[in-house]
Amino acid sequence: MNWRRLRTLMRREALATFRDPFTLTILVTVPLVALLLFGYVLSTEVKGLALGVLDNNGTSASRRLVAELAAKGTFDAHRYTTREALEGALVSGAISAAIIIPPDFDRDLRAAASGRDLPQIQLIYDGGEAVLAGNAEGFLRGLISATVAGLVADETPQVAGARPAALLPAAVPPRASGIEVVTRSVFNPKLDGTPFMVAGTFGFVLSFLTVLITAVSIVTEKLTGTFEQLQVTPATSMEILLGKLLPLGAVFAFDVVLMVLVAGFLLRVWPVGSALFFVIVSSFYVFVSLALGLIISATSATTAEAVQKSVLFSIPLVQLSGFAFPIRSMPTVVQWLTEVFPATHYIRISRAIYIRGEGPLSLLPEIALLALFAVVLMTYALRTIEARQ
Amino acid sequence: MTDRLTTHASPGRRHSFWSNVAAVAYKEASVIRHDKALLATVFAQPVMMLLLFGLALSNKPANVKWIVLDRNQSAVSRRLIQEVQSTGYFLPPQPVWSYDEGRQLLKNASALVFLIIPQNFRRDIERGQPRVQLLVDGSDPLSAARVAGYIGQVASTFATRPGVITAQVPGAPAVLPVPIDLRQRFWFNPTLLDRKFFLAALAGMLLTNLCLSATSGGLVAERESGTYEQMLALPTTPLEIVIGKLVPFVGLSYAVFFFSILAAGFFFGMWPQGSWLALLLVTLPFVLASLGIGVFVSTLAHTSAQAVFITVFFILPSFVLSGSMFPYQLMPHGVREVGALFPLRWYQIALRRIVERGGGFTDVAGPILALVILFGVILAGISWRMKPRLG
Repeated sequence: MNWRRLRTLMRREALATFRDPFTLTILVTVPLVALLLFGYVLSTEVKGLALGVLDNNGTSASRRLVAELAAKGTFDAHRYTTREALEGALVSGAISAAIIIPPDFDRDLRAAASGRDLPQIQLIYDGGEAVLAGNAEGFLRGLISATVAGLVADETPQVAGARPAALLPAAVPPRASGIEVVTRSVFNPKLDGTPFMVAGTFGFVLSFLTVLITAVSIVTEKLTGTFEQLQVTPATSMEILLGKLLPLGAVFAFDVVLMVLVAGFLLRVWPVGSALFFVIVSSFYVFVSLALGLIISATSATTAEAVQKSVLFSIPLVQLSGFAFPIRSMPTVVQWLTEVFPATHYIRISRAIYIRGEGPLSLLPEIALLALFAVVLMTYALRTIEARQ
Repeated sequence: MTDRLTTHASPGRRHSFWSNVAAVAYKEASVIRHDKALLATVFAQPVMMLLLFGLALSNKPANVKWIVLDRNQSAVSRRLIQEVQSTGYFLPPQPVWSYDEGRQLLKNASALVFLIIPQNFRRDIERGQPRVQLLVDGSDPLSAARVAGYIGQVASTFATRPGVITAQVPGAPAVLPVPIDLRQRFWFNPTLLDRKFFLAALAGMLLTNLCLSATSGGLVAERESGTYEQMLALPTTPLEIVIGKLVPFVGLSYAVFFFSILAAGFFFGMWPQGSWLALLLVTLPFVLASLGIGVFVSTLAHTSAQAVFITVFFILPSFVLSGSMFPYQLMPHGVREVGALFPLRWYQIALRRIVERGGGFTDVAGPILALVILFGVILAGISWRMKPRLG
């Protein structure tokens, strides 16, 4: 290993990369676009959701209920006059949920205020959009319960004199069931989806983009013959390889820093744990991806083949690494399979540092596992390359 | 070029236009037949995606690890734990003996939920104000929100008085501790299976992959290998070449389309509820628009590698933003509108309307119109980029 030769090779690689505007654009835009895309897609809240309203009551009470539902921007109320029209809108997807207020809603409210029957409201959801329906359900139940409680409270004085609203629970018939659950979310109090996706996007970019760029860049070099030209120079094959990998690794380490800054300034998501620790672990993970890229490049004859292999490898990456879908919900056999992907472990580490603020000590087992992956894959990559030469 | 494009409008040339298209189509079909890598993708990918979306992936919580700090240790507190457990979403709970111990387990992700039953839980019940505390790990917000919802439902129906059995009809929604009687129903997918959500859009995802990856490299590869110049030397116009190259892929796309619909039907019992004819009709503008995008990418790229790069980074946002994998209705405005530029957005809307909700022609007229407009824009883009470039 000659340091001067290695430096020349690295300089060559840097010059080649900077002269290629296409690769340069990809290296900068893909991480940023991925961050912005994924940062917004997962959401537990509901905003401006089309809600069909069939108000068979048409009194001030029912109108107030509907106005309350539309007030906070959670729902967009669309009024329908017949049940057929409402059901048609649900089929055509114009609305995602529907509320049907019965004709005697205001009478029921007064009855409830005097401690008798409960007012009844019917809700229909478009279950085809499973996630959406699940989210909308929670919001609708909460909003309706709160509003109806207020409406009942307003009715109460007319029936039972000037009873303050605070005493309302007494007006409700005593129940034989129900425990109040005080729920608090630790680490992410508003259950915002962005930090979860941002931390995962690092795993996605550093796995997919790194493997793809590495594989394509080496295969291209092999095809154009510049690789062979380098081999007739005094440089050893180890130096040639390092001369290629180190600049690439540096570029992706830069990408990590860039993404941390963009996520922080644009999406307002900063790592809760140590940012330095995060960048170090991430740069370390880049080596795992570089090794995978090397293996793909060594076993591909054309660029198209290299890209196909990288993309094929990226399908389980998105679906099975826990990036978008929870691993615990998968069948047991698939859960074992997910442990084989280095990305699964990196994404776990990334979320631990980014959201829960964990330190190096508690993450030691996962990091050790990543190191094992790096050593095994690098050794395998070097063996494959030597065998092919 | 304008001469060539206009001359075939005369009656004599119209015949030769279609025969030229047929000739190019025949040539392209024989190329596809021998492209083993492409055929492997065409056959392997649908099976892989079907297995993933049908069996492996779900947003619905399962096997949730949870911890319990039971400070009351009474029969009633144990019954509450038992009832939460019997919802089927949870693994057996891990008991802890202190609050800090539970917090620590939450922090290193050993559990998603931490239930705390207070010391005087039993006495609170007798006083009529029972209350428990629930800590959820918000780093996985979707699961956290849902699991908290399940526990809340169990708690709200929990029979606190011995001897009194709450009147709950099996399958009926939980009774709420508020003065209202909500009757809820989930249409089209009563158990909220994520599988139905994914499989309904499966055809759209497969076709996007197929149409884009098949065509995007095509023109560049021909240019690289020099066969494009050969074709230009023939009495064919660039338009004839493009259309001729697309025809076999339309056929292949319909094969993949039938596979995804039939496989979802046979293996997962998800047959289209609405009009088959409308389904076939809406697929055509979508396939054409997707193929068109592939061709457009092909005219932009200088090398095959670039073409594939652009394609991959087009497919990804179209999956994410279209609403095929995540509901687009939950995305913020701006992001939502960007998603409307992808053909997959409109196709998945149409698919869900027909396959899940049993819609017909009138329900998908909007998406069809949108797809036709997108196709028109892409065609304009292609003819702008397509100049016979030699050397």
